[in-house]
Amino acid sequence: MPSKAGIVGIGHSKFGKRTDATIRELAHEAVRPALEDAGLAVGDMDASVIGIAGEEFAMQGAPAAVVHDYVGMGSKPTYRVEAACATGSAAIRTAWSLINAGLHDVVLVVGAETMTRVSSARATELMARAGDTRWEYPFGITFPGFYALMATAHMNEFGTTREQLSMVSVKNHKYGAMNPYAHLQKEVSLEETVKSIVISHPLNLYDCCLISDGAAAVVMASEEKARQITDTPVWITGLGAASDSMLIAERPTLTGLTGTKIAAKGAYAMAGIGPSDVDVAEVHDCFTIAEIMAYEDLGFCEKGKGGRFIEEKQSYIGGKVPVNIDGGLKSKGHPLGATGVSMAVELVKQLRGEGGNRQVSGAEIALSHNVGETGQFVFVHIYSR
Amino acid sequence: MKFGYTSWLPETELVNKFIEGLGNSKLLGTQCRKCGGKYLPPRAHCKCGSTDLEWFAIPNRGKVRSYTVVSFAPESMSRYAPYIVGIAEVEGGMSLMGQLTGVTPSTLKVGLLVQIVAHQPDTDRIVYKFKPA
Repeated sequence: MPSKAGIVGIGHSKFGKRTDATIRELAHEAVRPALEDAGLAVGDMDASVIGIAGEEFAMQGAPAAVVHDYVGMGSKPTYRVEAACATGSAAIRTAWSLINAGLHDVVLVVGAETMTRVSSARATELMARAGDTRWEYPFGITFPGFYALMATAHMNEFGTTREQLSMVSVKNHKYGAMNPYAHLQKEVSLEETVKSIVISHPLNLYDCCLISDGAAAVVMASEEKARQITDTPVWITGLGAASDSMLIAERPTLTGLTGTKIAAKGAYAMAGIGPSDVDVAEVHDCFTIAEIMAYEDLGFCEKGKGGRFIEEKQSYIGGKVPVNIDGGLKSKGHPLGATGVSMAVELVKQLRGEGGNRQVSGAEIALSHNVGETGQFVFVHIYSR
Repeated sequence: MKFGYTSWLPETELVNKFIEGLGNSKLLGTQCRKCGGKYLPPRAHCKCGSTDLEWFAIPNRGKVRSYTVVSFAPESMSRYAPYIVGIAEVEGGMSLMGQLTGVTPSTLKVGLLVQIVAHQPDTDRIVYKFKPA
């Protein structure tokens, strides 16, 4: 039985169009508060794990080396992790594994990305090349396009509606407006989200997450060290991971992510809990349909009932499982490498009772779900007090 | 000849053979002689690890499993936008991604029966596309 590695410090940069900073300064903006929160100096770190998804976006080859040096890690060992949009969660899983292997006791985990320096058409191009460049990219499929294929199938099979998709966006913007670190801190109405311009039918502008710059950091420690560092560690008690076929056409179903189901099963079993025990969740809402499928694949509701789950406000604070109450990728933003670490930061706040006006009262068990590509990388982590 | 409306990878022997098939109105996949695994689009190596694969032709008929109308295209595809990308299931349970043409908003639907035909989007490019059967 592995020991319980825990999180003892959290830090978050402002997400947004950050033309005032490059990836190194953004990382610093997240690392400093994480160290202060842990009451540690950078010299107390045994290693860093750095999650950055793309060189092209960072405009720097091997960008993790720059970040590691800039935050003052000096000659300590560092690992760069990449798992597309799930990079941050892969970094946390890597740090957990390194700690449990006994290689390091205290590890700094940084997730960072800069994405807004390239045009939207260029960003769409770069992300399209993360699809299969042999048999998918040549047809002009985009990332919104991949999820639109899932949305069409889901709407056709289960009767999920245009309004239900938009309701996810309305919820996430409602909570994002309350999060000072969020990229787009404004509420949106159902009417304007339903009528926004089409990006890839049936998905429109308000179904799509933001292209953002930002960073997040956590300090992770072994059980023994964590107890020495703080009275309020948050433990990672379950980890699940899975993948799926590279070609979306090869999958037997388009209405869910098989990787999510497998990863969730593994994480629940390891933590000894079930979906009904989750008090608060962060799920991968790169597109509104992705959040609806996540409700189903994580077991928060039955398959096909995800649309009704949001319509009944079951994912609001006060519902069955509050989901993405920091704004999610939709309103908080989605700087690829930062996202998974940002999910951990939010859940640690919730479990410590530091959620402010977004606090889920009495939250004891939390879940993060982070997807890279269209399900080729899936990580589910369970956190508890 | 290059494969696709746009491309990033160089053509390989496998892709050239697939392109040659398309030029003769044939949709070619590969099948593993060891485990029987079938691949469309074709692969040079089987997922079982075998390198012993042979070519076979698939009837050029399919049924649409899903679709999307791409309005906001990648940089390299902007001259074609908007366009429809779909997934069609062919005989034997395999599915292909491709662009769909010859449909209207009222005829475009999941379950639509399509023909899979060769198409030259440019003088030096070939691709297959789906059109209503």
